[in-house]
Amino acid sequence: MIQFRNFTAAFGERKILHELTLNLPANSITAVIGASGSGKTTLLRVLCRMNDRIENFRVEGTVLVDGVDIYRPDMDAYALRRKVGMVFQKPCVFPKSIFDNVVFGVGRKIPKKEHANLAEQVLREVFLWEEVKDRLGEKATTLSQGQQQRLTLARTLAVGPEVLLMDEPTSSLDPKSTAAVEKLVQSLKKRHTILWVTHQHEQAQSIADRVLAIEKGQILSLNNPRGQLPLASASHPE
Amino acid sequence: MNAITAEKSVLAFIGCVTFLIVALLFLILGIMFLKGLPSLHGGFLFEESKDFGRAGGVFYQLAGTLILMAGAVLWSLPVALGSVLFQTEYLRAEKFKTFLTQLTYILNATPTILFGLVGYLFFGVYMDTGVSWVTGSLILAVMILPTLQVSIREAVETLPEKYREAGMALGLSRATQIWRIILPQSFYGLVTGVLLGLARAAGETAAIMFTATTFSGIQFPQSFSDPVPTLQTHILVLAQEAANPESIAQAWGAGLVLLGLVFLLTLAAWSFRTRLVMESEL
Repeated sequence: MIQFRNFTAAFGERKILHELTLNLPANSITAVIGASGSGKTTLLRVLCRMNDRIENFRVEGTVLVDGVDIYRPDMDAYALRRKVGMVFQKPCVFPKSIFDNVVFGVGRKIPKKEHANLAEQVLREVFLWEEVKDRLGEKATTLSQGQQQRLTLARTLAVGPEVLLMDEPTSSLDPKSTAAVEKLVQSLKKRHTILWVTHQHEQAQSIADRVLAIEKGQILSLNNPRGQLPLASASHPE
Repeated sequence: MNAITAEKSVLAFIGCVTFLIVALLFLILGIMFLKGLPSLHGGFLFEESKDFGRAGGVFYQLAGTLILMAGAVLWSLPVALGSVLFQTEYLRAEKFKTFLTQLTYILNATPTILFGLVGYLFFGVYMDTGVSWVTGSLILAVMILPTLQVSIREAVETLPEKYREAGMALGLSRATQIWRIILPQSFYGLVTGVLLGLARAAGETAAIMFTATTFSGIQFPQSFSDPVPTLQTHILVLAQEAANPESIAQAWGAGLVLLGLVFLLTLAAWSFRTRLVMESEL
């Protein structure tokens, strides 16, 4: 469960998200739609504290992930990011082998002898295993964009996150790869809470359990594809 | 004067200036080769100098120069790398980052003789390292620090932000990101910085002349407090014997060796820089 309580995110005096109050249930897909600059990406990035490095970035209010305030002073941001994984708009693979990319975030947290099993497991999860099982030692940069995007998702899954944040993950993919990623996300819903930012309303309607529309950092509407959600799920700006 | 004429005039002017710079470089190279090549006999690089430098080779001078250069980089690299990582990976305040960058440029513009003077007083006298290769390499380390710092910072800063974000999103700690992403991805930039630093150290004369080197009496340093013979000192002392044609010829030969050393390092740095650009475009 993800809960925003009067949450504001700003760069200096420029507010990007305005006093959001919002509940997102576990094991569901929420599509986030809105115009460019509406705060969609910031909404995702605050959930894994990706803006911590940016000067002047500040937050007010609280964000709870599984009941824990992720901006409390003693919060371990690294542990949070392992729990709340993020997949970016353009796939970023490291100039290393496919296998090394998959286990890149695992490090010593799992014994090295178990890395091969883990890699196979997550590559199967993202429907990439059959395509790469004979070339795990090859450079990941030799994969197509669609394959690279699934690889970055496998890399994220290998760390074991409970929440997946996906920032327009299909925007740079062809229709076939887009369909593969959409199918994949549906299968991940059972074990993950997913937030998916997209510009495509049709995609949002087809893959998501609920569609959150935001404009100028405020909630415009929160619907499920078959009707309005209970008002308790979100607070609307006056 | 219409716009086309004005443009042609400007083009002609900057063309002349560019030609002048290139011509100057080739003039220096040409003179060095013409004057230096006759002295470069088969054993010039591997023989010790004889008869107060009038005969033999420059083996120990070359070794001494390399010792000072390597020592300077060993002292300077950890400091430069540490300060770059602090600036790029830990510091959030842009104003403070700019301030540190300006300080680096000021350090780079400091006259080298001042490094020698202050360096000798601090290291040689206060730290009691005397006139020695340790003092020289420490002074050179401070001198090449800005070159190394700027080059390494450029490499780290040009590293696409997507790599850092990908590492962050996987929950990697700052130290792990540095170790597993920043340093490997900036490797060619680091090497370029080191090579440029070595080239700068090889070209410096004033600061080490009276703090670290000797003309004769020493081959390899036997302790931390020994000075070393260097190509720079060798050239200067021989050139002062202008009446002796053998000394002058040997000085040209040593000069050509020093020039070759700097050129090799610069060419290697250029080659690594090209690979750095290719990496950053991945």
